[in-house]
Amino acid sequence: MKDRIKEVLKKVFELDEVHDNISQTTCAKWDSLNHLNLIVELEDEFNVSFEPEDIAEMKSLDIIEAKLNRLV
Amino acid sequence: MKYFVFRNFTIEPFFKGMNVEFSGYEDVSRFDETADRFIWFYLPSCKCDDETVANEIENYGRMLDWVSGQTDKMLLVFTMERIFKENFQIIDDRVDRAIRVYNDKIRQFSNRKAGVKLVDISDFYQGFSRSDLIDWKYYYISQMPLNPKLAGSFREWFQRQVETIEQKRKKCIVLDLDNTLWGGVLGEDGIEGIQLGEDYPGCCYRFFQEYLLELGRNGIILTVCSKNNEVDVLSAWNDHPEMVLRKEHFVAWRINWKNKADNIKEIATELNIGLDSIVFVDDNPTERELVKQLLPTVSVPDFPGNPYLFSPFSCFLTRNYFRAYRLTEEDTTKVKQYKDNVERVRSRGQFVDFESYLKSLEIELSIELMDEFNIVRMAQMTQKTNQFNLTTRRYTETDIREFVTNGGRVWGLRVKDRFGDNGLTGLMIVTINQGEAMIDSLLLSCRILGKNIEDIFVRYTLSLLKLEGIRTIHAMYIPTVKNGQVKDFYDKIGLRLVENKEGTCYYSGDLSELNLSLSKIYKLKNNER
Repeated sequence: MKDRIKEVLKKVFELDEVHDNISQTTCAKWDSLNHLNLIVELEDEFNVSFEPEDIAEMKSLDIIEAKLNRLV
Repeated sequence: MKYFVFRNFTIEPFFKGMNVEFSGYEDVSRFDETADRFIWFYLPSCKCDDETVANEIENYGRMLDWVSGQTDKMLLVFTMERIFKENFQIIDDRVDRAIRVYNDKIRQFSNRKAGVKLVDISDFYQGFSRSDLIDWKYYYISQMPLNPKLAGSFREWFQRQVETIEQKRKKCIVLDLDNTLWGGVLGEDGIEGIQLGEDYPGCCYRFFQEYLLELGRNGIILTVCSKNNEVDVLSAWNDHPEMVLRKEHFVAWRINWKNKADNIKEIATELNIGLDSIVFVDDNPTERELVKQLLPTVSVPDFPGNPYLFSPFSCFLTRNYFRAYRLTEEDTTKVKQYKDNVERVRSRGQFVDFESYLKSLEIELSIELMDEFNIVRMAQMTQKTNQFNLTTRRYTETDIREFVTNGGRVWGLRVKDRFGDNGLTGLMIVTINQGEAMIDSLLLSCRILGKNIEDIFVRYTLSLLKLEGIRTIHAMYIPTVKNGQVKDFYDKIGLRLVENKEGTCYYSGDLSELNLSLSKIYKLKNNER
């Protein structure tokens, strides 16, 4: 699961390497527009649909993983 | 290529990967002058009050008026379609009417101004169901009235629209016959036995022939490559009562038992077009594979598995290969011109020497300056001409206009002979700097080659420059994989090779020393202004 999320992060933010502690505050490319792109890609990759409240919170790899774990 | 997008909603994901900047929402105050092209992409809002929505759209129209007046660069304008409809009264069409007016305005703009190009959003929408077009979650969290999940398909589709606008369509379709233009095998089933006509599946093949006839009317060259006996096919073309495409609709054919890759190469040579301008349609997967392997630049679409799928197959062909943004007169008469050419080649055999052959053609050349009527064709020629093209520089209408604004000369050449009018088929762009001229571009359509027309075109335009008092002329040849035939062109004209830098040859010459006398074989008209 974590690795798949990392692949999506890499693709959306165009990164070569993603650390486990990546979050909106540590990643310069994680702006609001790319956050939207990230949600679209995650929904696609895991075939899920997030609620807006979750989307607003999903601003680090850990939280994304936790939210996804509840859905899949 | 840098784009600047005027927009009223969040649409960034749809242009991801392109070099693009966005205006503020509903903001037309900032105009990015560094952009090469502009895009206007406004979406209708999804409010409940129709009056408000209609007024907004009307206002978008006024904003577009203003923006289109600000630039001569290419402006790609998206039409509008309603995605969300609230309508409390069935007969209330305020919003639809506003959208109609808005779209009409775009159409008028694109007819009046060469730089304005209409992008038909309904062509994209038709691939999806209404409910897929909007995802309300994203509408409310991110101001996106268009579902971001469609971004990937949108980018692909938009790329194709841009290519269409840039006139990158294919020129020729090579068709198989048995089980492609009719059902069954002519050699085995006979004329009476093949399926073509009113009943299923004959009606499907008939539809496909009608589609191809329409392609021909739109300037695509129809040719045939089939393993058959030529006499059988000629009599089927002549005698079958339901045959839509007959002998006269095909410009060239190879009906024999040789391998299709060789046949297609021969057709390309005969028509003087590149293999990458050809689409090959054959029901037989082995033949398709052979052509794919041996001629990788030929486009080879998959053939439909059932005759009743010819309709979507035809749509596919149009959308992927043959759609034009706007057809010029030259495009629609091209098929006739290619046929005329075959006639010319035949009549060549009757003459002992080349000069009397040329004389017999009664060639008429006329030279004209760029104007609003020929600029579309001129830009198109720079995009499409590969073989007789000294520098192969691709230009848009805006680019060409700029040469004139900056004091250069843009000459077009029309060629007519007793077999027909070839239309605008030559172009020369000259820049002038401190009394010295430089040939930026020189190109001729391959249809008119082989008659020394290029020679007289250049000598004549150079003599016009000389009359203006210009003494020195510079020129260059930039080699490409396709323009080897013009390698020595400037040497033949009499220019001096100054430098050869990795194949690119720089020339110059003194106009008072060049031989600019014109052959009497051609009738020459100067239609400047």
